[in-house]
Amino acid sequence: MRPTNKNTMLKVVILGDGGVGKSCLMNRFVSNHFDEHSFHTIGVEFLNKDIEIDGETYTLQIWDTAGQERFKTLRTPFYRGSDICLLTYAVDDKVSFRNLSMWKNEFLYYADVKEHLHFPFIVVGNKSDISNEEREVSQIELESWCNENGICNCIETSAKNASNVQEAFKMAVQYWLKAESRADKNEYSCNDTIDLTKKSGESRSSCCIGATEE
Amino acid sequence: MKDVIKEKEEQAKAAAAEDEDEEKIKTIDEVSETESPTSSDSEGDDKSQFIACALNIDIALIFPIREEASLYTFHIFISLVINTVRCEMLRRMPKHSASELSLNKDLPMKMIRRKSLSQLTFRGLKKEEIQQRNYLTLINMTIEELYIELLYVIIHNVGHCNVSFEIGETALFSYIQDAFKISNEKHQELYDVASKKEPPNMLLNVEVIEAKDLAPKDPNGLADPYVTLYLDSSTSRRYNSSVKQTTLNPTWEEHFALPIDENAADDTLHIEVWDFDPAETVGEKFGKFVNVKGVKGIRRLVKEIAVTATTGQHNNELIGRAQIPLSAIPATGMKMWYSLDKKNKVTRQGVIKLRLGFSSEKNSKVATQEHRHLLRILLLHELETSKVAPYWWCGTFSPQAESLITQHVAQSGLCPVDTALSQWIVYTNIHKTHPLSYDLFASILEKLVKPVQTGLLSEEDQKLFWNATHRLLPSCYAMIRKIRKTNFKEKNALKQISRVLSILGTICVLDSSENIHKDLVEAIRKGAKDWFDHLLENNTVEDDSDDAKLKCLVKIVQLVRTDLQKAVEYYDKMFQEQVNFQYARNLYNIYQKKLTELVKPDVEEICTTMAKMPHIGYQNYSQVDTSQPLTIGTTLFELYLYLQRFVVLGDGLCPFEYDSFEIKDFHVWFYSGVAQWLNIAFYKALQRIDKAVGLDQLIPVDNTVKYSSSAIDSISIFYQIKIFWRELNWPDVEGCYTFIAKIIDDICRCLVHYATQMAKAVEGMGDKQDMYEKKFEVTQEWCLAINNIDYVLQSLVPFTVELGMEDILEKLSELNSPLEAQRCQQTLETVIANSVDTVKNEIFNLLDVVASKMCPSMKRLLVEGAELFHQDCNSVDRVMMYLDNNLHTLHDQLNEENFNRILDIIWDYLNDILLDLIKTNLEKRRPPSFFANLLETLKLMKSSFRLNSNCECDKLKKTERLLYLNGLETPDLIHQVHLDLWKEQKSTEEPSFGQLTVKMKFQGDELKVEILNAKNLVPMDSNGSSDSFVRVHLLPEEMFTNISKPKTQTQHKTLFPLFDESFTLKLSPEQRNRPDGLVLFSCKDYDMLDYDMLGYNNQYIGEALVHFKDVPNGSGSVSSLPQMSLELRRPQTLGMHTFKDVPNGSGSVSSLPQMSLELRRPQTLETDALKALEFRQGDKQAKEFLRRYKMKMAITKS
Repeated sequence: MRPTNKNTMLKVVILGDGGVGKSCLMNRFVSNHFDEHSFHTIGVEFLNKDIEIDGETYTLQIWDTAGQERFKTLRTPFYRGSDICLLTYAVDDKVSFRNLSMWKNEFLYYADVKEHLHFPFIVVGNKSDISNEEREVSQIELESWCNENGICNCIETSAKNASNVQEAFKMAVQYWLKAESRADKNEYSCNDTIDLTKKSGESRSSCCIGATEE
Repeated sequence: MKDVIKEKEEQAKAAAAEDEDEEKIKTIDEVSETESPTSSDSEGDDKSQFIACALNIDIALIFPIREEASLYTFHIFISLVINTVRCEMLRRMPKHSASELSLNKDLPMKMIRRKSLSQLTFRGLKKEEIQQRNYLTLINMTIEELYIELLYVIIHNVGHCNVSFEIGETALFSYIQDAFKISNEKHQELYDVASKKEPPNMLLNVEVIEAKDLAPKDPNGLADPYVTLYLDSSTSRRYNSSVKQTTLNPTWEEHFALPIDENAADDTLHIEVWDFDPAETVGEKFGKFVNVKGVKGIRRLVKEIAVTATTGQHNNELIGRAQIPLSAIPATGMKMWYSLDKKNKVTRQGVIKLRLGFSSEKNSKVATQEHRHLLRILLLHELETSKVAPYWWCGTFSPQAESLITQHVAQSGLCPVDTALSQWIVYTNIHKTHPLSYDLFASILEKLVKPVQTGLLSEEDQKLFWNATHRLLPSCYAMIRKIRKTNFKEKNALKQISRVLSILGTICVLDSSENIHKDLVEAIRKGAKDWFDHLLENNTVEDDSDDAKLKCLVKIVQLVRTDLQKAVEYYDKMFQEQVNFQYARNLYNIYQKKLTELVKPDVEEICTTMAKMPHIGYQNYSQVDTSQPLTIGTTLFELYLYLQRFVVLGDGLCPFEYDSFEIKDFHVWFYSGVAQWLNIAFYKALQRIDKAVGLDQLIPVDNTVKYSSSAIDSISIFYQIKIFWRELNWPDVEGCYTFIAKIIDDICRCLVHYATQMAKAVEGMGDKQDMYEKKFEVTQEWCLAINNIDYVLQSLVPFTVELGMEDILEKLSELNSPLEAQRCQQTLETVIANSVDTVKNEIFNLLDVVASKMCPSMKRLLVEGAELFHQDCNSVDRVMMYLDNNLHTLHDQLNEENFNRILDIIWDYLNDILLDLIKTNLEKRRPPSFFANLLETLKLMKSSFRLNSNCECDKLKKTERLLYLNGLETPDLIHQVHLDLWKEQKSTEEPSFGQLTVKMKFQGDELKVEILNAKNLVPMDSNGSSDSFVRVHLLPEEMFTNISKPKTQTQHKTLFPLFDESFTLKLSPEQRNRPDGLVLFSCKDYDMLDYDMLGYNNQYIGEALVHFKDVPNGSGSVSSLPQMSLELRRPQTLGMHTFKDVPNGSGSVSSLPQMSLELRRPQTLETDALKALEFRQGDKQAKEFLRRYKMKMAITKS
C-alpha cells in the first residue's frame, strides 16, 4: 500500500544523430531487448529503470530523443532539468561523430544547466559490434574529442550484442555522483575563495574507455 | 451648382458647317465640375475659347454618327433640340400606309421606325444630305427651340386621362419655365411661336393582340376571325387584320397606326371581329397565299382579301364589336381586354385584347434626341430643386415633369425601348456628377436587355447603349471596390450593392466578352488590396518592439477575418446569384496570400528570437521576471489563434483550393515558438501555484468538500494549460504527441511543486509549546494540505485524458504504425505513472511528517501509562485523549484512503515507539509488570482506534506479543516456551529422534496414560543402541507440583523399546481444566555406567508434547486408551500430531487410535519467549530453565 520507492531520481537525456541507435541503447538497457528494425523515434520516448550502484538504488528516468532535424523543436523542451546527458554517435558514422559538438551545444542551450563545465556528459560510441573495415571513428579520435571538450567519460557500446550498455549507464550515474559531491563541496566551501586547485585537477582527468568493463 | 446658360457666337470652321454658316450656334455652357472639357479634336485657335467651356461629354451621346461627328466636335455640348428644319421635314414626311403597317405583324414597331430616315429618300433627297440635315438639326438645337417644342407638346396634350390633364397647362408652363430658366417675356415670346405652329400629326397606335372565347360562326363550331378597325371620324378608312383560321382564340399581335386630328378627344375607335367566309373568290385568292413570297407580297394579298371583305363581296359574318372613346386612352397608352357585343344579342361574343397608345410622326432620331435633352434638363432641375441625396434618386419626377415627359413620349411617338434607352443614356451621364439610384439603372436595364439581346436596336443605338453602359460601369466597379464603406447593417445599402451586381450581371449576359467579369474581379481585387493597404496604413507599429508588431498583426488578421465574415454573411450569396461569382472564396484567396506575405516573416523571426531568449531556471523561477516573454508569448499565441480561425474559415470556404493555400501551414511558422509557449505556460503555472498556496486560508471551500482553495486553483491552472492546448489545436500529429508528453511532464512537475509548497505552507502548524511541554496537535490545515495534494493528484489522470491523449495515439497509429503508437503510449503512461508515484510519495511524506510529529507526545504518554497504569488511570486517559483528538481530526478531515494511510503510519510509529520502549526498558531491567502495563495500554488503544479495521500490521502484532511475553511472570514465560515448542512440533518437518506410541485419555479428573513403545530411537550409546525410558511431565510445572512424574522401566539395548506401561495421574479439577496444560513425554537414555551420582547421567534423547485439548475424554479401561505415536523431539523441533480426528471419548479406550509422537529436541534460542527469558538475568528460575534448555540443544549440536 505504501510505496517504498524512495530512490534518487535521475533524469537522463540521450542525444545524437538519427540512426545511431539511441532507442536501441535505451531498450537494451531497460528491457534487455534489441530490435534490428526499430522505427525512428517520434519526438521523445520515456522509460524508467532502476540501477544499483554501491548498494544505493537510483531510478533513471530516461528520455530518448528523436535525432532527425525535423523533431528539433519537439525534443528541445525536454532537455530542461536533466541530470545526465548521453551524447551518442555511431562508430561507423563519422558524421554523427562530428555532430557531437552540435548536440552538446544544443543541450547546453536548451537545458537548464547550472554549471556547464561540470555537467555529466557521457560520450557513447554505439555499434561497436561492426567490423574494423566499417569503422569510421577510432577510439583515439574519440579520446581526443573528449579531451578537447572537457568530457572525461566516454565508452563504446553495442546495443546489438549488449556490450557495455549497462556499464555506460552505470558510468553515467557514477559520474553524476562525482559531480554532485563536488557541487556539494563547492556549496559548503566559502564562495569568496577561488579554488585554484580545482582546474588543474580537472585537466588531469583522463578519458576512460570501457573503464568499467569487468 | 447653377446652370448658366449662355449664348455664344461661334464661327463654324468645318466644311460641312459652312452651309449654314449664317446660323447662330448656340451652346449651353454648363458650368459643372464633373463634366470636364473634351478636347477630342482641338484644332484651331478660335476654338480655344470654346474648348475652355466645352464639356466633357461623350461624343457618342450627342453624335450618333461618330464619323461625321468629328467635324463638329468642337461645338458640342449637351443639350440642343428642335429647330424648324426638323419641323418642316416632319411636315413633308409621308404618312405611313396603315394597311401596310397592319401587315407588319411580325415586326415590332421599332423595327419599322428604323426606316424613317431612308423613307425620306423618296422625297428626292440624298441620304447623306438628310443625315446631314438631321445632324444639323441636332447640333443646332437650342434651349429655346427645345422650350418651344415643349410648349407645343403641352398645348397639344394627348390622352385625357392622365396626370398632365389634371395638372393643367398653366402649371406645366410655369414648371418648364422654371426648369428651363426662361424669363416671362421670353416665355411669352416662345409661347407665341409654339402656339402658332401647326398641330402635330398624331397617330393612334393599336396593337391587336388576341381574342378569346369568340362566338362560333362556322359549321365546324369554330370561326376564321379577323379584325376590322376604324375611327368614327373616318369610317371609310378601315384597317383589317389577317385571318386566323378555325379558331375561337386567335392571336394576331398586329400593329396599326390610325391618324387622328385635333378633335381626337371626341373620337371613338371601333373594333369589329368578323368571321371570314371562305367564298370562292376569296378562297382563290387565299389559295395564292402559299405561292406568295416576301412580306410585300403577303401584304398585297391580304389587302386584296381585305378589300374583298370590306366591299361585302362575300358573306362574312360579324362576331362582335367594341367601341373605345379616344378620351379614355391615356397618353402613356394602355393594354386592355374589351368585350365584344353584337347589336341584338345580349350574350358576350368574346373578348379582345388591345394595346392602345398615341404617337406622332416625328423623326424618331430627332425625337429621341429631343427626349434625351428634355430628360436631362428636367432631371437636372429635379435634382437641383429636390436636393436628392446621391444614389437616392430612382426615377420619380415631379408630376409636372412626369407629365411633360409622358406627353413628349406620346407626341414624339417614342416606343418604350426608345424611352428606356434615352433614360439609360441620360441617367448614366448624369450619374457621373450626381449619382442616381442603382435601382433605377437596374430597372431600365431590365427593359433594355431583350432588345439588346435580340439585336433589335440599330447599330447606332447599340453603340449608344454600350457607351452609356461603359459610362456606368466605373461607378459600379467603384461601388464594389468600396464595398467595405457600405454600411452592411443598412438594408438599403445592401440593396444597392445587390442592384449594382444585378446590373453587372445583366451586362455580363449582354456582353459576350469576358471583360466585364474580368473587370469585376479586378475591382474586387483592387478593393481588397486597397482595403488591406488601408489596414496596414492605419495599423502601424507604435514602437519597434516585437509585441507591438505582433499586436498590430493580430489586429490586421482580426480585421481581415471580420471583413471575410461580412463578405460571407452579406455579399457572397448576392455575388453568386447576380454575377455568378464566388465572392468570398476569391476574397479569401486574395487575403490569404496577403496575410501570408505579411505575417510569415515576422512570426518566424520573432519565434526564432524568442527561442534565443535566456532560459529561466527551474529552481529560481520565482525571481525571474517572466512578464516580458510572457506578453510576447501571449500575443504570439493570440496571433496564432486568429490565424487558426482564419484558416478554418478558409477550409470551409474553399474546400477545393484549400490545399494549395500557403496559409494552411501557418502553424509551421510558429514551430519554434511552441516550445517557448510551453515553457511560459509552465513557469506561469508554477508562479500561480505559489500564489494559490499563498492565498490559501486552508479552510474547506465549502462544507461538502475536504479541500481548500489552492487545490481548486491548481486544478484551474492545469485547466488553463488544457485550454491552451485545446486552442493550440496543433495540426501535426507527431508534434501533438510530443507536446502532450511535454505538457504531462510539466503538469507532473507542477503537481510535485504544489505538493512541496503545500507541505511548506503547513510546516510548523499545530506545534504548541507551553511551560511544561512541546506538543503537536493535528490541525485541520494539515489535513487539508494532504487532501489538497491528493485531490489535485486525482485530477491528473482525467486531465491527461482530456488532453486528448487517446485521440492522438489513435491518429499516430494510423499515420505511422500501431507499434509506434504503442511505444508513444508507453512513454506517456510512464510519465504519468512516474508523477503519480512521486506525488503519492509526497503525500506519504506529509502523512509521515504528521505522524512523526505526533510521536514524542505519544511516546511520553505511553511511558507514563506504563509506569503508572495501576496507580493513575488519568495518564492512560491522557494518551487516549491525545490520540483520540488527533485521530478524530484526521478522520474528519482526511478522505478515507488517506486516513487509513496515516493510521497505518501512526501504528507504524507506535510500533517503533513500543519496540524502542521495550528495548530500553528491558535494558533497564524493568519488571514484567511494566511490560504488562504497556500491553494493557496498547490493547486499550487498539480497542479504541482499530475497531473497524482488521488489517493490523504484522509488526504491531509482533510487538504486542513481545510486550505480552515480557509482561509474563517467569513460570508463565517458561510455559510459553513449551507452548511454543508444542506449536512448532506441529509444523516442523525436521527429522525426529524417534517415535513414541502412546494412548491417553481423561477419565473424570484422571489422566490415563499408556506408553506402548518407541521406534527408531537415535542411538545414544557407543554400542549403537540405547537404554531408554520415558518420563511423563505435566506442564506448567508449578501447576502440577503435587503430581508425581511417572517413569517407565528402562528398556535396554534396543532402539525399538516396548514399554507397555500405563499410568493414572490423579488431577484436581482445576488442574484438569487447565486450558493450556501440556503433557511432556521425555525420553532419556539410562546411563548406568558413570556419573550416577551426578543426577544428570541420563542422556536426553528427545521429547514430545501433547496438549490437554488433544487428549480425548472418556471412560473405560486403560487398554482402551487411544494410542498415540509421539515423535520424540527436542525443544524447537517437537513432532506433534493433532488429534482433531480423534473421536472425543465416550467410546472404549481400545478403540481409540494410538498416538504416534515424533521425538524432537530444541534447536533454537531465537524465539521471543526465550529472548524474554534471557533478559531476566536476575531470575533464578529463568536462568535454570535456560541452562537446561541450552543443554538439550547442545546435545543436538554435538
